[in-house]
Amino acid sequence: MKIQIGDEVRNMTAAEKANHDAVVAEQDELTQRMLDDAAAAASGRAKFAALGLTDDEIKALLGV
Amino acid sequence: MAKQVFTASQVLTAAQQNSLQSNDYNQTVSTKTASYTLVAADAGTRVVMNAAGATTITVNTSLFSAGDTLVLQNIGAGTCTVTAGTATVSSAGPLAIPQYGSGTLYFTSTGVSIYFPSAVTASAGAMTLITGADFSAQTSVAFANSTFTSTYDYYLVMLDAAGDAADTNLSLQVRDNGGTKSTAAYFGGGIGQLANNTQSTFGVNGATSFALMQTTSATGRNRCGWTIFVSSPASTTKATIWNGTATANPQTGASIGGWHFGGEYGVEEAHTGLVFTFSAASSGLYRVYGLANS
Repeated sequence: MKIQIGDEVRNMTAAEKANHDAVVAEQDELTQRMLDDAAAAASGRAKFAALGLTDDEIKALLGV
Repeated sequence: MAKQVFTASQVLTAAQQNSLQSNDYNQTVSTKTASYTLVAADAGTRVVMNAAGATTITVNTSLFSAGDTLVLQNIGAGTCTVTAGTATVSSAGPLAIPQYGSGTLYFTSTGVSIYFPSAVTASAGAMTLITGADFSAQTSVAFANSTFTSTYDYYLVMLDAAGDAADTNLSLQVRDNGGTKSTAAYFGGGIGQLANNTQSTFGVNGATSFALMQTTSATGRNRCGWTIFVSSPASTTKATIWNGTATANPQTGASIGGWHFGGEYGVEEAHTGLVFTFSAASSGLYRVYGLANS
C-alpha cells in the first residue's frame, strides 16, 4: 500500500499501514452508525405515515 | 571601506587595496539606529537598520551610478521601509523590511533603482499558495513536510478528489514531520443538507481520526470538493482546529449535498501538515494557501 507525501510516492511503513487500516475501520464504523440512524429515522417516519400523518405533519411534529 | 575614487599619480597603499578587496569577502557594514538617507559612500556596502520602532531608508537621486548595488538589512524589531526620496524605487515585492529581513537595492541609472526583497513577512490580507500536489490512485495523501509553519496562523486547504472505481470514505488527520498523529484526540462533527431534502449528521468524540464524509466514485458524479480552514497548526500551546464545507456525498451514501464540519485535534503540539486517508484508491489534487493574521 502506498502513501503520497507532497510529490513523493512510496510504500507505507508498517506503522502507516496500521494507521490507515485503523482509520478505515473507524470510517466503516461511523458509516454504519449513520446508516443505522437513517434506517431508524425511515422506520419511524413509516410508522407515523401508517397512522395517516402527512410528511409535513411529521416534520412539524419532530421539529425538523 | 566605501568605494574610492583614485586620481592620476595617486599612490595606492596596501591598506587601501586590502580594504577594498575585503569588501568582496567580508562586506562593509554600517549600522543605523534611526531613519537614514543613503549617501554615495554606501554603494557596495551593507546598510543595517537596528531600531525598535518603525524606520525608513530614503533613496535619493544623483548619488549612485548605474550598476551600483547595496544590501539593505533590518535586525531591529521595527519595520524598516525603503522609501523613494528623489529617486524612484520599483519592486515586485513589498518595500517594508521585517526584522531579520533584507533585500538588494540596484540602480539602473542615477535616479532609478529596483529593490529586490529577499525575505518578507506576510502582508496584511495576503493569501499565498504554499504547496499543492496532484495525486493518482492513492489511499493516503499527505502534505509535504513543514507545510504549516509559524509564518501563518491560518491555512486554507482546497481538496478535489474522487474514488477511482468505487465510493470511498475520507478521513483527515494532523501530521508532523515525524508522521501521522493518531492519538484518540479527534473531536468534532458535521451536518449535511442533502439534495433529497433530508439532513444527516455525524460526530466523533475521541476518535483516532476525523472522518469527513464519503466521496463519489469517478464512475458517478466524479468531483467532490472540500474547503477546509485550519487554525494555529504550528502553535505548541493551542489545539489545531479546522472547519470547512464540502460538496460531496455524506457517509450515508445518499444523494449529493452540502456539508459543514468542524473539529479539533486536542493535543497542544505543533503540526506541519494534514494527511487524508481514503478507504479506496482515489485521485485528485490539493492546494494549501497561507492566510495572514491581519
